[in-house]
Formats: sequence, structure tokens, C-alpha cells
Amino acid sequence: MKLSTKHLLGIRQLLKEDIETILSTATQFKEVLQRPVKKVPSLRDITIVNLFYENSTRTRISFELAEKRLSADTVNFTVSGSSAAKGETLLDTVNNILSMKVDMVVMRHSASGAPHFLAKHIPAAIINAGDGINEHPTQALLDAFSMIEKFGSLQGLKVAIIGDIMHSRVALSNIYLLNKMGAKVMVAGPPTLIPKYIAEAMNVTVEYDVKKALQWCDVANVLRIQLERQNQPLFSSLREYSLAYGINKRLLESLGKDITIMHPGPINRGVELDSDVADGNSSIILHQVENGLAVRMAVLYLLSNRD
Amino acid sequence: MKILIKNALITNQRSPFNGQRKDLLIEDGIISDINTAIATDADKIIDSPNLIVSTGWVDVFAHFNEPGYEHRETIETGMEAGMAGGYTHLFLVPNTNPVVQNKSIIEFIKRKAVGKPVNLLPIGAATKDTEGKDLAEMWEMHQAGAIAFGDGLNGIQSAGLLLKALQYIKAFDSTLIQLPIDKSIGTHGLINEGIVSTQLGLPGMPSVAEHIVIKRDIDLLKYTDSKLHITAVSTSESLKLIKAAKAEGLHISCSVTPYHLFFSDEDLMEYDTNLKVNPPLRTKKDVEALRNGVLDGTIDCIASHHFPQHWDNKSCEFEYAKNGMLNLQTAFNVLLTALPAISVEKLVEMLSDNARKLFNIPTSTIEKGAKADITLFTNTGNTIFTKESNKSKSQNSPFFDKTLNGKVVGTIYNNEINLTK
Repeated sequence: MKLSTKHLLGIRQLLKEDIETILSTATQFKEVLQRPVKKVPSLRDITIVNLFYENSTRTRISFELAEKRLSADTVNFTVSGSSAAKGETLLDTVNNILSMKVDMVVMRHSASGAPHFLAKHIPAAIINAGDGINEHPTQALLDAFSMIEKFGSLQGLKVAIIGDIMHSRVALSNIYLLNKMGAKVMVAGPPTLIPKYIAEAMNVTVEYDVKKALQWCDVANVLRIQLERQNQPLFSSLREYSLAYGINKRLLESLGKDITIMHPGPINRGVELDSDVADGNSSIILHQVENGLAVRMAVLYLLSNRD
Repeated sequence: MKILIKNALITNQRSPFNGQRKDLLIEDGIISDINTAIATDADKIIDSPNLIVSTGWVDVFAHFNEPGYEHRETIETGMEAGMAGGYTHLFLVPNTNPVVQNKSIIEFIKRKAVGKPVNLLPIGAATKDTEGKDLAEMWEMHQAGAIAFGDGLNGIQSAGLLLKALQYIKAFDSTLIQLPIDKSIGTHGLINEGIVSTQLGLPGMPSVAEHIVIKRDIDLLKYTDSKLHITAVSTSESLKLIKAAKAEGLHISCSVTPYHLFFSDEDLMEYDTNLKVNPPLRTKKDVEALRNGVLDGTIDCIASHHFPQHWDNKSCEFEYAKNGMLNLQTAFNVLLTALPAISVEKLVEMLSDNARKLFNIPTSTIEKGAKADITLFTNTGNTIFTKESNKSKSQNSPFFDKTLNGKVVGTIYNNEINLTK
């Protein structure tokens, strides 16, 4: 089994067959993770560097754990406490690391296109763990895996992505993936947080009324308000955001139907999602995290070119 | 020095020989004879197939970075690039360090061209330090030889200040050059806002940020009855506004960069930092409109927007890369590649005639007794721009190793000759 691409830069560059291959490989790894001995020797002697230019909890831990479960050797790099903090360029940093014979690079970066830039300049396989407001492909893959686990298929599934679409790499990757797999996608949120051209650019419908979006969908993927990425006033206050766009139990109960709630984390509890929804029966948020490990093992394995 | 040019098509509307193929003899910088088959010895004989001769080309917006940023370009290397691109007159933006805002910097720049086949024409800052707060000493800069005024890369944001600047320059019949961008819209934008920016996850710069400045500036121009040149128009809507203002009889003119005629935002799919420019590359529809704007006369001239950048400002993440690309050396070739069917007359209008008229550059003609201020080129054949042939100190060009239409053969100005290889 092989992917059509050497790197995982984004879902945009993947074929439908690639996505299917990753998801079916992830199913096998999920089975491995249920065993008493969770470790397999698949990536023994492969060295992977986790290059995190931006903060991350679950993605970094998930990748690191996935690498360890596959018996890879791993090195972690975070920007504080490294020479990048002294002003070393990305290219210099990575070339220095690569001269220590690293096979794969997992990178998170605050600039859109940073992994694409790296892929043009270095020979190692690159896995994008989130770049700016562009893509977060492994998140979209684990979201897809979780939805398929629940619904059997993505074909015809109605997915509403709700919240800060403009600053979300999760939104873009999810939309690319869901469109490729035949699902229907709606984005909902305040107009200042929805890119003006998203309907034509990404083949989605746009809704400003969250209740209508919830009534339409089978799955609501609720995004975090990315306060750290907003450098202009895009909405009035968290209070008003929560009143107008937040999802709470009463709103869900008023729909007269069951929908599934997802969230890529970390949650701003009480802002985009109330705790009783996040922790309630319709939420599959913790499944998402669990599946993230299997999906990342699949991606690492497939891109390592080990047969 | 005696130079004999063989069998060149003279393209110069003011010349009695316009449209004719002739030999030209140039002695000590003066065109001494124009005739069919001049038989004489010469220090230099230029004999190239399909040779065309026009008045020397004028670029209205280039950045040579000296003083202040000599690691990117110097006046010396910039002039070399300009000459290789077929130019005899180069407008330089004031965004140096220190800013071009007094007589001594104007004189410093102009002195650098002494003895060269090229004329440097600094654009004086309209406001102190190009900060858009207080008027700079434009009268004195004008006396010292500033060709026009403007804040170069920093479009003037304040309507009140622009109004005063437009009024102020009327005393000496100068022109204000404006880069039209409202910085409060799409402030953190990296490329044109549209389908491509959405698909690439890059913050967008909406085209409306350009239109509202042009609209406002046209109203201020009407009020002041001054002269305004909008540089680097990039959208179809901008052209509509300028066309209407011209029809009203306002003294408005505009220029386009060669790259806005060549690339669209769709060329950014691989995050090529060499294509990061300001104003950004727009949609294919805009490119089409700009090409038509050249042909129908809405656009008056080509502005190279030659902005050298040091390699580490381009070999980095797209977001961190700086704006700009090298253009002087390839402007003509890119124009001719984007518009292969453009007439020779139109080419010469865009590269020389119109800018000379708009900015009161002493007009030269191609006739006996005139000072030679000419560019020699062919609109057939092609040029491959390479790192070896690049004269600029920087390397931020997307055109390396591309085959482009046409060939610059050389320039003659100020009794000096420059021939490209």
C-alpha cells in the first residue's frame, strides 16, 4: 500500500484513494491499540523529528505516541528553548536537524504554507501537523475516521462546521476531505469569521443562523474561537458570541432530532460549546482523540515507505 | 564616438521617418544622418535582423535601495539592470534610508548617473519619512530635479494630506504618484482575497481596498485640479474608475506592472514567494482586463515595480517573505510575452512616449540633428533570462530560465552606448 504523495501537506493534495488507504490502515492500527502489547516494530530504525513552531497539546502528544507505538526514534523540537528563538531561519534549523539523518519531519507552524516550503527544499518526508490557517490534515482524517465509525460512511452525510471558519485549519482540511468523500458540507458562524469566497472556493453552503445549521446537519463539528489568531475586531465579545453562536443543551433539545457533536479541541467551555454538550451523550469528542492516534500511526507508516 | 545602426525600423510618431526602415548614423551623441544605406566607417556598427529603434524607454517606478539597503541593490547594479532592460530613464522610489526627501539626496542620486547612458529621475517623498503625516519639502526637491512626488511603497492614507500634497505640487506643475491601497482593509492579507486565497488558507487582501482609494483620490483630484498618476493598477474595477475619470477630462494617468499582465493569483498554488507582491496578483479576469486596458489606452505606461529582495527574505515561509520582484531587465520581454500581438507603436507608447508626455521629460525625436536618446530592440526572437545574465544584485525573479518574447539590443543616451549580449 502506498500513497500518491511523498508528503502529507494537506488533504487538498490527496486523492480519494489515498484517504481510503489511510483510513483502512488506521482501522488496523486501532485494533493494535486494543492489544495488551500496543507496540509494533513497523518503524524501527526510522527517525522522526517533531518540529513544533506553535503550541500544541493533543496533536504533539498524539504524534509522539503514534511514533513510539510504531517503534520509531523520535526527537522533539519546540521553538522556545531552541535556536529558532535566536532568529535561526526555518530552512537552517531543518537542514541542521536533517544532517543528523532524520527520515521524517512532523511540523506545526503558524505560517500557512510553511510545510510546502520545506517540502521544496529538503528530502525528508513531511507531515503537516497544522500550518497557519491553512490545513490540519491529520485532524480531518481522524474526524472522518470517527464519523465513519459512527455512521458507516461519509457518502451523503450532512456535516455542519460551526464557528471561526476563517482562522481554522481544521475547517479547511475537513471541507476538502468531506467533499472528496461525498459528504455535504455547511459552514456556519458570524459573517466576519467566514471567508467571503468560501461557497465558490470550497463548494459549501453558508449559514449565519446556528440553529438552522444544527437542524440541517447529522454532525456538527464545532470549532474553537481562535482568539490568538484574531488581530482585528471580528466580533463584539465572547459573551455575545456565546449568546448568538454558542451551542448548549437547550438548543440541542429544541431541534427535535439527535445530532452528533464533534470538536477538535481545545474547547473554550461556555463559549462555543457548553460543558453539558461537550460531555453529553451526543458528543464523540474523546473518540476523536483516541482515533487520532490510530490515524497518525497510519499516516506515519504509509509515508515511511516500509513494506 | 561614431555609431552606425543598420536597417532599423524607426518607431517614433514625431519623427519624419516614422515607420520607415533606415540606417542611422550617430556622431558624438547626435543623430547626424538618417538615410537608406549609409556607407561609412564607424566605431560601432549595429546590424541586427528585424531591428527596431524608438526613443529611449522610461520606467516610472523602480527601487534601487540605495542609500540604506545596499545588500539588495545599489544604484550602480540597478542602473545596469535598467540598461539591460532597454531603459534610458528610470524613476526611483523614495523609500530608501534616509528617505528621498531633500535636495541633497536628490543630487546624490542624480550624480550617480553622470557618464552613464541612463538618466536617474528620483521621485521625491510627498510626506516626511513617507509616514503620511507632514508634507516634505517638495518645492526644493523639484528644483533639484525630482521628477514627481509620492510616498512610493507607502500609499498615502490620509485624504486630507493627499489633498494638500496635490494642491502643493500645482505651483511647479508636478505629478503625484500614488500606490492605491487602503491599509485598514485586509491589513494582514498576503495575497488577493478570492477563491485561491480561500483554498490556500492565506489571509486575503480584498480588491476593494484598491478601489476605494482610487475613488477617493479621483474626487480629491477633481477638487484640486492637480495631476495624479496611479501606479500598479491591478483590478478591472480600478480601470473602470480611471477610464471614467479620464473621460471627465481629469489629469489622471496610470501604470501597470509587467507581472500583473502575466501572472494571476492562480499561479500561487505552490506558495511561490517570488510571486508575493503588493498590490497582490489578482484573478484571471483582472489580468484579462489589464491586458485590454493596455490595448485600449486606459493604461498609459508600464511601471516595472522593480523591487530587489535579499534571498533570505524570499527563501522562507510565504507569510514572512517580503513583497517584490526583479523586473527592470525583463519588463519589455514580459510585456511582449503577455501581449504577443501588441503593435510596435503601442509598445513604444507604453514604454516611452506616454511617460515622457505625462512627466514632462524633454522629448527626443529620431531625426537629423537630435540628441540620441534611443532604445534598440526586436519584437521577434526571444530572450532567456538567466542568473548569469541577471544584472541586479538580488535574485528574486520568477522569470529565470523562462523563454520570453523579444530582445533588447541596446540603448544610446548621453553620448554613451550600452549593448546587451
